Amino acid sequence: MKNKLDRLLNLSLQGKISSIYILTNLFVCLVNILLILGMNRMSNEMELVYQDNLKLNELLAILDDVQNNMTDYLNAKTSDSLEKYYRSSQDYQALVEELNDEISGSAFDRMKRNIRHMSARYLEITDQTIEAKRGRNVEKYRIRYENATQMYDYINTYINSLNNQQFKNNSANYNELAQAFRLFEMIGIAIILVIIFMNINSIIKLVGAIISPLKTLAKSADEVAKGNFDIELLEVQSRDEIGVVTGAFNQMIISIREYIERIRHGMEVERVMKEKELLMEAHLKDAQLKYLQAQINPHFLFNTLNAGAQLAMLEGADKTYQYVQNVAEFFRYNVKKSNEHVTIREEIELVDNYIYILNVRFSGEIHYEKKVDPSLLGIEMPSMILQPIVENCVNHGIREMAGEGRIWLSVYQIDDTACISIRDNGVGIRQEMIEKMIGGSYKEENLKTDSNGIGMDNVIARLKLFTESEEVMSIISDGADKGTEFILYLSVKEREEDDV
Amino acid sequence: MSQINRKKNNYKGYMLITLMLVVTMTIAGILIFFFYINRFRTVTDANWYDHYYVMITEDAKSSLWQTAYEGAYQAGLENNSYVDLLNSSFDNNYSKEDLMRIAIASDVDGIIVAADESTEMTDLINEAAAQGIPVVTLYSDNTQSERCTFVGIGSYDLGREYGKEVLEIVQEKQDSGVQISMQPDEQNSISLTTGISNPVKITVLVNAYAQDSGQNILCSGIRETIEKEKQDGIEIELSLVSVDDTNTFSAEETIRDIFMENELPDIIICLNELNTTCVYQAVVDYNKVGQVNILGYYDSQTIIKAIDRNVIYATISIDTMQMGRFCVDALTEYNTYGNTSQFFIADIALINKENVALYLGGEAEDEE
Repeated sequence: MKNKLDRLLNLSLQGKISSIYILTNLFVCLVNILLILGMNRMSNEMELVYQDNLKLNELLAILDDVQNNMTDYLNAKTSDSLEKYYRSSQDYQALVEELNDEISGSAFDRMKRNIRHMSARYLEITDQTIEAKRGRNVEKYRIRYENATQMYDYINTYINSLNNQQFKNNSANYNELAQAFRLFEMIGIAIILVIIFMNINSIIKLVGAIISPLKTLAKSADEVAKGNFDIELLEVQSRDEIGVVTGAFNQMIISIREYIERIRHGMEVERVMKEKELLMEAHLKDAQLKYLQAQINPHFLFNTLNAGAQLAMLEGADKTYQYVQNVAEFFRYNVKKSNEHVTIREEIELVDNYIYILNVRFSGEIHYEKKVDPSLLGIEMPSMILQPIVENCVNHGIREMAGEGRIWLSVYQIDDTACISIRDNGVGIRQEMIEKMIGGSYKEENLKTDSNGIGMDNVIARLKLFTESEEVMSIISDGADKGTEFILYLSVKEREEDDV
Repeated sequence: MSQINRKKNNYKGYMLITLMLVVTMTIAGILIFFFYINRFRTVTDANWYDHYYVMITEDAKSSLWQTAYEGAYQAGLENNSYVDLLNSSFDNNYSKEDLMRIAIASDVDGIIVAADESTEMTDLINEAAAQGIPVVTLYSDNTQSERCTFVGIGSYDLGREYGKEVLEIVQEKQDSGVQISMQPDEQNSISLTTGISNPVKITVLVNAYAQDSGQNILCSGIRETIEKEKQDGIEIELSLVSVDDTNTFSAEETIRDIFMENELPDIIICLNELNTTCVYQAVVDYNKVGQVNILGYYDSQTIIKAIDRNVIYATISIDTMQMGRFCVDALTEYNTYGNTSQFFIADIALINKENVALYLGGEAEDEE
């Protein structure tokens, strides 16, 4: 059964529909043939009903012949009548021998048996009568003739009685048969109607079952056409053309979804990159703008300072030359590097310059100590980061305290992270201020005149963008007058990747 | 890759449809088959039997012979023989003699005949015997013939029963003599009030054959019982009236003739069912109920009802079913061993006012 169904499911669409129509038609055909056979059988039966009566009539007629021929012979003794007698008696014998000779439960059969025996006896007597006539034994043949006539009467009556009873019975049978025939006709029509109804029903059902995947497919296709790709995948129920199309459709949906996903992901990455770039640029622009606001044209200043340095060298004022050179270097850095990434080394050099300038300005007030792991100097970082922090230390930490100001700069490595620590021994920063600074919500209201214009918020924002991480800096202050430590965290890996 | 999953529902749908088709086909097949069977059924009641016996009776329609035939038929089936009531095979009414000739010519295995003492019957029975067909005489015998068995009732016992009933009637009449005398009927009142010495007249209706030994024995049974047991002073006159039953309808006419005469018997004893019914009807028609007492024969429903209504004084119930059985038993025995007992006597029982209730309502039942 299951195999058959499998085979049916694997048929092509044409095969399926054709087989349904062929099967249903065959079925109707079969039922019709059966009904026709039944009706045929019944009509044959009806024809046979009076068969027995016809036979008995024939028997009666020949019995009459036998009796008449015998009488004729006894009357006239013609050879013609004798011949006729023999012929008819032979016929009669033949007919009688067809009759039943068994003791049956059926009354007709028993009557036939009796008629058969009586007829045998009758023929015996008629033969004897003829013999006696031939022997001209008048006395004998007269008695025998009487016997024969009596027997003839009995047989005649017997056959008539049988005929009569059988006719009654057959008439009843005929009526019954005719009624049954009519009933059979009705039932036949009813069966055909039922079969036709069922056939129509099953054709509708089966074709519907075949077509239904197509309908779902059409519905899904419509959905897809409207732009909804999030539909459920269709089940493949058969291996016909519809099954193939459904499979292909499913495959198409899956592929489209994959493509859409890939494109969406690519766009997302691109968008993030672009956003980052834009932000970076904005911050830089901001920094530069502030720088320009704060300073006069650095190129002019730089060239002016260079001219001053040459003048100092010509005059042999080495210290002045040194100083002007450092100042020039400091501004050149600002001009050159403000737009790109730099190494820690360059940043530290800038800090060196800056502190040198400050020390010249404030006659060695700031004690600056460096402790640098040289292997980390090549790590990239954004420009203009360390100098603003040091400036912050000087302006807010050291300037406001009494006594000797100190600044410690150290670069070391913890696990995969390069740490740049800038510590002062100034007045310290309050905890809430620290949190504001780290959170980026702190804005310096007015930059001091000594500042190069880049605030801590800018520094932190750029660091965050650069490292793509929130953990870029920690600010530690143990309290008032206990100094402040800024620690920057940079990934060592990035440098290694860059090295590669 | 999408897996090929098939719904269980789909399977169910296909299976359901297939099942429906199969069911209809089966129903159609069964219907057609039923019709064929229906046609064949008319032919299929044929069983085959070893022996074929025929029964020839006087009046095939009376319940006595119907019951006897029923008994024979049942006994026949038990011995795988078929018993036919030959009378019913013919549309016209053949005489017993004609039927005997037909049975002999039909070469049956045995004949059960309600014989009489006519010579024609004797000849026919002898002819049958000569052809090797055993003949059993039923109910009435043909003593001269070579019949193998007689199945009937004990005539002498029956006569004694009738005699006892006669005496009982006489006794009752004596006891209620005064009452009867007050009836307006002249004849009767005189006869009974004038004393017991007036002879009580009894008429026995016998059939035409005086040589019927059973009948004669029965009459002597009555006579002897009366003589032996009657009280002194009562005279009883017993007369035999021969009822001509050789022709159809003649019995009824003979009985009517009795009632046309001036002197009516006090008691009429009938020796067959037909006579009983006729006498009963005549007594009612001539308004002689109470005056003429009837001793009937056989327990048909008509007779039983008549007893219940006090028209018939008493009747004899014969176990006719048993009689029928005895016939077939005798034939079976004869066909098996070549010989059988000469007589089979069936049980009889008396039915009168006292026990009539037992027989009322139901079919004529046999008293064991």
